[in-house]
Amino acid sequence: MTSEQLVGELPADVVSGDDDTGDDADEFTRSAEAWLKENVPARYRDHRGALSNEETDEIRRNWDRQLHQGGFAGLGLPREWGGQGLGLREEVAFHVLAGKAKAPDGFGRVAKVLVAPMLITSGTEEQKAKYLPKILSGDEVWCQGFSEPSAGSDLAGVKTRAVKVDGGYLITGRKTWTSFAQHADYCFLLAQTDPAAPRYKNLGMFLVDMKQPGVSISDIKQISGAIHFAEVAFTKVFVSDGDIVGEPGDGWSVAMRILTDERGGTETAARYVEIRSDVDLLLESCGDRPELASELQELDIRTELLRWQLSKVVDLEDDMGDAFQRAVSILKVLWSELWQDVTRVGIKAMVAADREHWRYQYFESRAVSIYSGTNEIQRNIISERVLGLPR
Amino acid sequence: MSASTTLPDEIGLLASESIRDMVSRATDNAPIATYAEGESPLSWQSISDGGWDQIGIIEDGEGASLRDLVEIARAWGESCIPLPLLPTIMAKRHSAAARAVDGPVTIAIPSATRTDGTCFVPYGQLGDIVVATGLDAGTDCVVPVTDGLADDFDILMHGVQAHMRTDMSMSAARELGVVFAAEASGAAKKLLNDGIVFAKEREQFGKPIGSFQAVKHHLANALINAELAETAVIWSSLQEHEVFRGALFAIDRSIAVGELVLQVHGGLGFTWEMGLHFYLRRMLGARELVSGLSSEFGGV
Repeated sequence: MTSEQLVGELPADVVSGDDDTGDDADEFTRSAEAWLKENVPARYRDHRGALSNEETDEIRRNWDRQLHQGGFAGLGLPREWGGQGLGLREEVAFHVLAGKAKAPDGFGRVAKVLVAPMLITSGTEEQKAKYLPKILSGDEVWCQGFSEPSAGSDLAGVKTRAVKVDGGYLITGRKTWTSFAQHADYCFLLAQTDPAAPRYKNLGMFLVDMKQPGVSISDIKQISGAIHFAEVAFTKVFVSDGDIVGEPGDGWSVAMRILTDERGGTETAARYVEIRSDVDLLLESCGDRPELASELQELDIRTELLRWQLSKVVDLEDDMGDAFQRAVSILKVLWSELWQDVTRVGIKAMVAADREHWRYQYFESRAVSIYSGTNEIQRNIISERVLGLPR
Repeated sequence: MSASTTLPDEIGLLASESIRDMVSRATDNAPIATYAEGESPLSWQSISDGGWDQIGIIEDGEGASLRDLVEIARAWGESCIPLPLLPTIMAKRHSAAARAVDGPVTIAIPSATRTDGTCFVPYGQLGDIVVATGLDAGTDCVVPVTDGLADDFDILMHGVQAHMRTDMSMSAARELGVVFAAEASGAAKKLLNDGIVFAKEREQFGKPIGSFQAVKHHLANALINAELAETAVIWSSLQEHEVFRGALFAIDRSIAVGELVLQVHGGLGFTWEMGLHFYLRRMLGARELVSGLSSEFGGV
């Protein structure tokens, strides 16, 4: 195998569209590529490791504004709400191109991937008008308040309380694994509105202002040494009645509607680029070692197939319901277990020059079979919701 | 080089649906074990009346693409009907002599597990079958199957191990490898669905075994493998690099589906009558053939 063959582009259909929409999608790819080339900050692209935390934060925060000005914010969101009115095809293509261009990961991911779709499907007109414009412009950052120290896989068991007071609620409890908490203006959060109500009917979805007294944030240091998450304690933090999404007992169903979006194609697209680059590093540094040959081949083909699986998902999105569900449901398990296998080989290969890289990636990759629904939960979802096995 | 979509064209979609309908009418959706060792529930006549044996023929640059043939082979693989539809399609696609024949045509393929110079002739035991001598290579004739040993490992394939060999071009060999892999991936899809039905119906400890997490995860893993098998054959059909590697990967993932579904069936899965092994035999057979093709034509 030659690395030229292996370092593939996305199948043409993902990057450049099929026959019907070929011109449009080509046009999109070309303009996205050109825009990324112009706009990805050079010092981030070329010297990412040398930047201070403050510099990185500033670049990432500004990236959301750049996306907005360039017309690339909210690609899949309706135009009516400031999105670009495009589909999964363009979302996936953009994520791949952005990954290749070494674009920063903005602070707006949670807001654009989760909060905006939630508000569009379940929010009031006032909520949409109040929050969507600043989500898309990158002026306001959101974090997610779902997991708790005692409610991980059993998300419906959250203990954070929302106590009714005049004009709103007081939120008290602890949330964990919160990305972007330090930077967030708002948190969308699940809390118990009625402890006496049955499971799944006892939660509300709240839009909480993070910049008020009673919100306390502490970092979580991970096994890799990195700090990507925080724990957030809420002590009698006020939310007005206007900032509940749906009815006070609707929180669980509102949450479930967006979690399926979270696991879709866009994250896989971004992950594909990262995994491809790790596999290429392995091929370059030890592709000539016979004792690793069959493992490397296997990893290489699995990486290639991850991208084709994604193409299949994109192609199936429009018409075939069952085939689409099957194809999309396995993406998270597929990329997470592939990346873990890649880093395991990276550790095992013991290439002196890449030692620190693989040590770090190995520890980081332990997280991916745990977060966003552990892979055990993913397999429960696949078997129950996709294959229809009894609960 | 790159395809514009991972989906098949209309011809592949329509043909695979029609073939599925034809098979399901002929078998009345009866389990494979009811016809595996007897007469074919479908006649060759109904295949040739429908023109399905000619679906791979390319005229004036028009005809089914390899991606379309993948869809057809997947549909066919769901039933393992003991008729040489796929070898005939491939022979007629790549040989004028085969196109001139009304009845079924097969191919003599080098197999990875034979060292005596013989080839495997799928359906070579069938009475009226002929072998194409050249697929876009060598001499283009059809000849009767020479005497050889019956190889009944894949019972529904009625194969013969014979001293004859079909010459083939690189691209014909690649297409053949992809089609065999696609057939195996269709068998995997069918087995997965059988496993799901079984897990919903079979009860132990007073409830369906499909409600136990250990069983659920086996079937989730079977879906993951079945999806990967499909994606790998699509990949192999749409680009020219590492075609055999993709085909073998697809077959291995299909075999993994077979193993998981067999485990889900418990002791019943280990019985001859349950019939899961017929599919597994088809997959293991495909592995030998594609490995054979790969070692002859694979050095890309």
